Amino acid sequence: MPAIEMTTPAALPADWRDFVALTKPRVMSLVVFSGLCGLLVAPVQLPLVLSFSAILCIALAAGACGALNQWYESEIDAKMRRTAKRPLPAGRMDRQSALHFGVGLSFFSVLLMGLATNWLAALLLTASILFYVLIYTVWLKPRTAQNIVIGGAAGAFPPLIGWVAATGHFAALPLLLFAIIFLWTPPHFWALSLFVRSDYAAAGIPMLPVVAGFDNTRRQILLYSLPMAAAAVAPWPLGLAGAVYGISAAVLSFVFLVLAGRVARSRSTEPTEMGAEKHLFAYSVFYLFALFAVLVADAWLA
Amino acid sequence: MPKLEDEIVRRQRERAKITAWLLGAFVILLFFITMAKTGINW
Repeated sequence: MPAIEMTTPAALPADWRDFVALTKPRVMSLVVFSGLCGLLVAPVQLPLVLSFSAILCIALAAGACGALNQWYESEIDAKMRRTAKRPLPAGRMDRQSALHFGVGLSFFSVLLMGLATNWLAALLLTASILFYVLIYTVWLKPRTAQNIVIGGAAGAFPPLIGWVAATGHFAALPLLLFAIIFLWTPPHFWALSLFVRSDYAAAGIPMLPVVAGFDNTRRQILLYSLPMAAAAVAPWPLGLAGAVYGISAAVLSFVFLVLAGRVARSRSTEPTEMGAEKHLFAYSVFYLFALFAVLVADAWLA
Repeated sequence: MPKLEDEIVRRQRERAKITAWLLGAFVILLFFITMAKTGINW
């Protein structure tokens, strides 16, 4: 065995790629996209460099949340197959570096947001980081099966921040976008947690399928999908978006409800047989991307 | 262990180089943000 593989994490400085991995780049892409949409549908157009800075700040704050989440949950991550290869549980980085990186990114993103756009957007960015790290990661996630329901608010901030960065104030449409992501989060995560239930159970995280069982989780997915679909279509009848968005949102939401209905009827307990759950999880990611993209297209057409 | 020391130096250099590039990019970004905020057009 080469000498490098036998060293402790403290003996070897972490590779820069591990710092990138710490920011959860895949999660960041959806956060950045929804933040960008909030910025683009706002009635005020910022200069390009300020728009770029606002989106950069949202991305950096999301990266900071990922780093602080992995710092706090490194022992839990080591127990789950899905997360065991992350830099901290795999021993490629020491915890202190992850903490410093996360805290540094948080301060930097908030400061830059305040300087580049306005301090209300910076305040919202601070609230989203604190909500994700303290309310979701530290408080809710290890304690209650409702962790995703309330914690979903953390992921719902980006379009609101994007809008406020452009306009400097709140409005009905970004609050509706917040509601859409807030209501979308439980069906999205519960679909995933159904087919990785054993991982969560092994790590002792009280996700809904672990504490309430498969059938109850499947019913809850369908139950939350209904208000989510209503919130997704709502901007059209409320006059906040046009027919292009309204019809697209109705079609996209109808497909979501059909897939959620299939999950509700499914009785599989083996992850390999959970085709309906995997389809819903994959579609839920596409759904949010498509919904927000159509909203931007609709705003531009108007 | 020369192999380990080489690896430590390589990683430190790589991280220092990336930090320097990021700091440089930040200075340039801050310059353009100031220009945009003060309303100076190019």
